[in-house]
Amino acid sequence: MTMLEVSLQIFRYKEGESPHYDTFVVQVADSAFVIDAIDAVWATHDRSLTFRRACHHSSCGSCALRINGVEKLPCVTRLTDVWDGHNPLRLDPLRNFPIVSDLVVDVSGFFQRMSAATMTITRDAEPFLPVSVDNLDDRIQPAVVELPDNLSRFNRFENCIECGICMSACPTMAADDKFWGPAGLAAIARACQKTDDPQEKAHLLALADGEHGVWRCHSAFECLEACPQAVDPAGKIMELRRELTAQRFKKKRRG
Amino acid sequence: MSLPHVIVIGAGSTGAATAHDLALRGLRVTVIERGEVASGTTGRNHCMLHSGGRYCVTDQESAIECIEENMILRRIMPDLLELNDGLFIALTEADLAFKERFLEGCAVCHIPARDIPVKHALAMEPFLNPKTIAAVQVPDGVFEPFRFCLAFLATACQNGAVVRRYTEVTDILCSGKDVMGVKVKDYRTGKTETLGADMIINAAGPWATEIAAMAGVSVPEVPTAGVMVTLDCRLNNMVLNRLNKPSDGDIVVPQRATSTIGTTSWKVEDPDLIAIPAEHVARMITQGEQLLPAVRKIPMRAKMAVARPLIARESTDEREVSRTFECFDHAFDGVNGFVTIAGGKTTTSRAMAERVSDMVCHKLGIAAECRTREVPLASYRLFYQRGQS
Repeated sequence: MTMLEVSLQIFRYKEGESPHYDTFVVQVADSAFVIDAIDAVWATHDRSLTFRRACHHSSCGSCALRINGVEKLPCVTRLTDVWDGHNPLRLDPLRNFPIVSDLVVDVSGFFQRMSAATMTITRDAEPFLPVSVDNLDDRIQPAVVELPDNLSRFNRFENCIECGICMSACPTMAADDKFWGPAGLAAIARACQKTDDPQEKAHLLALADGEHGVWRCHSAFECLEACPQAVDPAGKIMELRRELTAQRFKKKRRG
Repeated sequence: MSLPHVIVIGAGSTGAATAHDLALRGLRVTVIERGEVASGTTGRNHCMLHSGGRYCVTDQESAIECIEENMILRRIMPDLLELNDGLFIALTEADLAFKERFLEGCAVCHIPARDIPVKHALAMEPFLNPKTIAAVQVPDGVFEPFRFCLAFLATACQNGAVVRRYTEVTDILCSGKDVMGVKVKDYRTGKTETLGADMIINAAGPWATEIAAMAGVSVPEVPTAGVMVTLDCRLNNMVLNRLNKPSDGDIVVPQRATSTIGTTSWKVEDPDLIAIPAEHVARMITQGEQLLPAVRKIPMRAKMAVARPLIARESTDEREVSRTFECFDHAFDGVNGFVTIAGGKTTTSRAMAERVSDMVCHKLGIAAECRTREVPLASYRLFYQRGQS
């Protein structure tokens, strides 16, 4: 195992103090992910460093931050993919969230939006195994899936892990702090797809149509680029716009 | 009348479930966690909701705990589980020979198990090794450990509990033989303070020995690390297990668009910093591809290692160490008002909470019954919305 000596320039802030950067040099394996380097700083240099993390494999969404200015999940970002080998790797908290301490941000506003969007974290699945995987032999290409007798459908967690990366990357968020944000609007779109109740659907569409809803988005598509989970919030926002536009035409024709 | 105040150290699955249990019984609860919720052992989890199948031959006590808790969790957190069952897969004659013992073990532990046709298994799991010679279906599932803990804590907070994150216990304060409270440091402000308590519960997982030492007592825990590898593609619908005694890399747990292979097992000294041995990662791939030959073709999305808090027993092989849990009343060590809940696994954390809460309530003279088997949990999202610190 080859070791790397990497320097990390980390944003620091404690209540009542002025924000600054601290630089730490740590030894990590060349196969390390960025979270491992942050972990090493905390374990070997400075126990007062606060950062969010739990799962280390992009299922919880808690560790999101900015690496050299770009929103990433450090648990699935290899050090060698983002570090140039000599300049310190800069770590900042997410934008558009209140900063609590160091790399920790207050995610309560984000979770409020996700709650209001009523998207549940599990859903019945559309087919979700890959249709094919490159370089696989024909004989292990997936076939049609039959469900076990006692299951009506497979279920699975939503792809969105509520990491907040899209909110940080979104330029509209910076202009309107009440904006639903890409994840919130994508959640509304998912909840709309899921419900059979016309009243519930009308309620959800009204949320998306509101002052801080889909029309605020100026299609920068930063969220599409930044999302580590391929949720495509921008696509979902456009879907909602099309649906709302279609409704308007229908109303006019009727009216 | 002022109710007793209980401090729970650690906001992993055990601490979170304990806070919920005690708050539901009406006690005043404060949880102290040095990092984010589930930032220790619970977070870096295989995410497998055990049916108990894995332990039904080698550790039936754990297996029975698993199936009971599995069924309870389906009731109290239905929205937080991927429930697609699991398969135990035989690939060799030795595996096949294990099948009868496995089915017997499942029957003894009341784990619903069905020996299904291989053809059927291959149809449900198109990436499964075509050399599969037997498959048994059991009610394994998948959870998400971070939200699992948040849901317990959100409910605890609704019932008055307070959770203090980024706050570390730096000392346990005693007066003679009685524990009086804790000294904590809040890393968000740098401030230290003292919190009084009528009872302290040590739910610090593999760090429980460190906490116990602050009170001058010891806990027979062996921090045992494991490596897990997450693939950048989901290759299985259901949890896949090798139909044999537990060994390295014999489970592949799907979640969202990924599959995670685990795990290895070795004793560690310092649970704070575990280097991930490259050969363990390589072993996960070679073991994983036995169940799913496509494994080697899929890029790795993440790898992780964490220490599990196994309780030391006579046996020297860490695979043979029971995965069950134990509650230690340190009054027997001469320290009053301090208990440790150790061992266990996330699937059984509610039962661990019940056991330690029963003990604590008994010691405090509180008659309230445990209600966590029935009470559905609040939305995990409410944890942050309540402005928890």
